[in-house]
Amino acid sequence: MVEVFAVASGKGGTGKTTSTLSLGMALASEYDVTVIDADTGMANMLFHTGLSDTETTLHDVLAGDAPVEAATYERFGMDVIPCGTSLSGFQQADPTRLKEVIATVAEQTDVILLDSAATLASRSAVLPVVLADRVVVVLQPTIPSISDGLKVQEYALTYGTGVAGVLFNRVSEDENIESVSKKAQRYFEGETLAKVPESDAVRAARRASEPLLAYAPGSAAADAYQEAAETLTIQETNSNEVAKRFRNAVLPDEA
Amino acid sequence: MNLPEGQLLRRRVLKELATALTNALELELTGYARLEPQDTLLLDSDGVGVITFENGIPVAVFHTGTDTGGSEALTDIGSSGPYRLELYELDEAMLERIHGSDSLCVPPGMPAKQLTGNAELVERTRDRAPTERIEPDASPTQHLDAVESFLDDGSKIEAIRKRARTEAQSRAEEWDFSTERQT
Repeated sequence: MVEVFAVASGKGGTGKTTSTLSLGMALASEYDVTVIDADTGMANMLFHTGLSDTETTLHDVLAGDAPVEAATYERFGMDVIPCGTSLSGFQQADPTRLKEVIATVAEQTDVILLDSAATLASRSAVLPVVLADRVVVVLQPTIPSISDGLKVQEYALTYGTGVAGVLFNRVSEDENIESVSKKAQRYFEGETLAKVPESDAVRAARRASEPLLAYAPGSAAADAYQEAAETLTIQETNSNEVAKRFRNAVLPDEA
Repeated sequence: MNLPEGQLLRRRVLKELATALTNALELELTGYARLEPQDTLLLDSDGVGVITFENGIPVAVFHTGTDTGGSEALTDIGSSGPYRLELYELDEAMLERIHGSDSLCVPPGMPAKQLTGNAELVERTRDRAPTERIEPDASPTQHLDAVESFLDDGSKIEAIRKRARTEAQSRAEEWDFSTERQT
């Protein structure tokens, strides 16, 4: 079985990478999980996972210079495929090779989480949403963030990708999040996966180059991500069929 | 809403609305920020959002597309990015009429709270605001009320979704994406 999720938000600062890694670690207690930094233009997963000195990354794979296995690192109970941060790496990478990467990984894992770009403005940024089975939409309880989340959902649905649910992140104590999430639920498909509180532990984890669930597993934010992972039902699909689907996905070779 | 044209200080494409407010605060701007939606698909309907400032602190807000002012205009600005930002300097006397309009004025921290959710920026703005202007946004739930009002406006939400669908379909052609799942 394998299911591919794009963790997306349409705007920056919502905590997509923290959410991707937290969901990944929480799901890893039950499934084989691979997380991929699919934000090839502004990668940051390597800084959250102690992989900043890594030589081989997704950029090398997308440039055709390395096999997927060479850019896959076992960290925190998951397989992590980080992306590099250099401009030349980005320029040489062919984003359409991402489908080959997913097809290869799909043969040997249960859950793939794609950390997606914080924009819908370019073809390579939208690609993870196109390729995923479902999206997890990360929102802050603000009007711009909810508006952008709605846009992500419509893009996903237009491209035949489902919506697993929404995850409210960076929620302040003074916010009436229960009422907001109940109202938002009317417009979003899938479940409200969690309401993750704003937390100093998230910033501290980032400084320590560790995912939140490794750095502060007992924090309220970590608990909320555990709850999100429990709410997320992984759909049973055949790995070989999924791999075949990605290999056969019709995408032109050049952006 | 008519505002005399000021002196252009800065023009840039915005990823985050926080940038507009931070720029104005750091420049201690007296003048206004003009926020024009970037996407040509949106231009016909969205108009322009304007936030005025005194010494970097937001004072009034209006939106030319929806003809709204105050908190309601912030909702319209918040729901239709990404934007091109232009910051203009303008003499305080030229802003007097707009700053005298109760329907356009907002508490100092409200734009940051409502548009960015960035608690640090809200606090920094309030810290620098004149004391007599701070009181009105003491209610911490105020911006959430705005979020809830936004979510109660089904027609606005449907308009956002419809525009996004149109945009996604148009880009599918541009980018050669299929709009149906490949099997």
